[in-house]
Amino acid sequence: MTSSLTDLRRDVEDFLYREAKLLDEQRYDEWLGLFTEDVRYWMPITETREVRQHRDHVPGEWALVEDDSRFLAKRMERLAGGLAHSEQPRSRTRRFISNVLVTPEADGDLVAESNFIVFQSRRANCEQFFVGSRRDRLVTFGESWKIAERTVLLDHRVLPRAISIFF
Amino acid sequence: MTSISERPVDVAAAGLHDLVKPDEGAVSRTVFVDEAIYRTELDRIFTKTWLFIGHESQLSQPGDYLTNFMGEDPVIATRSADGAIRVMLNSCAHRGMAVCSTDAGSSKFFRCPYHGWTYSSTGDLIGVPRADTVYNGELDKSRLGLKAVPRVEIYKGFIFANWDEDAIPLVDYLGADQLWYLDLAFEAPLGGLEVIGPTMKFRIKANWKLAAENFAGDDYHVLYTHGSAFQIGFLPDYDQLADYIVHFDHGHGMGDVSKPGRAYQNDVGMAQFLGPDAIEYVTAVHERLQARVSPLQAEMHGLGEGNIFPNLSWIKFGAFHIFGLFQWHPKGPGEIEVWQTAFFDSAAPQSVKDFARTQMSQENAAAGIFGQDDGENFEQITESARGVVSQTRDFNYAMGLGHEGEIHEEGYPGHLGPHFSEQNHRNFYRYWLELMTTPGEQK
Repeated sequence: MTSSLTDLRRDVEDFLYREAKLLDEQRYDEWLGLFTEDVRYWMPITETREVRQHRDHVPGEWALVEDDSRFLAKRMERLAGGLAHSEQPRSRTRRFISNVLVTPEADGDLVAESNFIVFQSRRANCEQFFVGSRRDRLVTFGESWKIAERTVLLDHRVLPRAISIFF
Repeated sequence: MTSISERPVDVAAAGLHDLVKPDEGAVSRTVFVDEAIYRTELDRIFTKTWLFIGHESQLSQPGDYLTNFMGEDPVIATRSADGAIRVMLNSCAHRGMAVCSTDAGSSKFFRCPYHGWTYSSTGDLIGVPRADTVYNGELDKSRLGLKAVPRVEIYKGFIFANWDEDAIPLVDYLGADQLWYLDLAFEAPLGGLEVIGPTMKFRIKANWKLAAENFAGDDYHVLYTHGSAFQIGFLPDYDQLADYIVHFDHGHGMGDVSKPGRAYQNDVGMAQFLGPDAIEYVTAVHERLQARVSPLQAEMHGLGEGNIFPNLSWIKFGAFHIFGLFQWHPKGPGEIEVWQTAFFDSAAPQSVKDFARTQMSQENAAAGIFGQDDGENFEQITESARGVVSQTRDFNYAMGLGHEGEIHEEGYPGHLGPHFSEQNHRNFYRYWLELMTTPGEQK
């Protein structure tokens, strides 16, 4: 690995850590600002299949999340409105982001892959971990980036709970 | 010192009739948490009723299989070389290991990972390692196939199975009145319904009945539980969406039933917002319905949501809505594993497919704004029902009591009620009680 790629990876790690902090601190308006207007946020459904009968996720299959920036903003508006009972009171969350790999693209954009563990604690005793990976396409924005595409793959076949938080 | 309890709950002593009183609009919280009642439900409800297994399109080729649950019993459904669809227990006849550990796929046989016993896709035991020596050639393989579910029937592509050999036919169990409505979902798609992706699965730490009764016609909760959806403009004024609820024999119920014309009018409005493809599509769907169902059904055009007793809920509004199935698989009295499958019209324009699919993920799904708020309710209801004092207070299902049968809409079958009523809950528990107090043979 060249030193410049190492530097780039460190910068991307910094970007992803800051993003995680915004979510853990429920600074949703700032979090929304990290996405491009035409972002595609996709979380397909994990399957359990035989090794030789593995199916890749394809656009057009029904997914856990398939949002554009307009609906991401609607989700934030909902949380702010006081009637989102699944996050009223808010969950405590702690995100751990690791295994960051960066692949530069020709036009200065890049693909960032990362793993995550997210701990969610709700009310008194409703606690679970969500574990998975993300593949983000980051486009240059000033001195930093914006997320133009995010694919989240949760490793769970059966989710421990309905999803009221973000990955 | 006087006891806090107005009525101590001794499940062994109390009859189920004391705990569940549909005609008084009262159901004891005990039936949502008690282990013995739960075991009885598995035996007297989940081995006696028709349970959804899958859709024919998921088993289109010989060798195709899928796995599912009937109550807590894991099953495999297969299409074998003879073209027949069979459903069998996913558990080796030898020592019980699951012979299939995947969601779905294609295979000529199922081999148990424990000792290698091998079954054909018809469930026959066809291979036992070293059978001649270790069993001295005395093993009667013909008696050791996978246990077959005796009754498998299909309605318009939807496969159901029943452990009860003497069960009434599926079509009679669903009933002509309920099918009068449900047929709209099956007949409207221009190219037929297709499964549009993997089954979504998630857990809710709640009793399965809370989810089932909710879909059976608890339209009252929509106003507040889903208040955020109105707040952000995801849903129009609820009074503009639907007018009635309706229930049927065998505990089935349906909500968000609309007056003739309303659903089509809503769809036309939405089509204008979505664009020319959508306008053309909704017109074609409406014409297709006019050609295939009665004039009143065609005029009704769209449905709402409902529950097919015991634990299969569905949702389907107009032409732009996914047909979604929710199986509330019980995992003990306090936990549900939700299996949610989405279907849509294979011949719809791509832009309409894209709209319907994303809208469903955002609406009534694991991360949808409706699904997550419902789960929150069901969990905390179940938790509070565990307390002994809490159990002295029955759940209240009294809305509309004494006013049933007052609503009529010419030509609509079933027992119609106003949009906001708990008549469907009472109907659900009436049938629940009937099954729970009818002892059957042990399966």
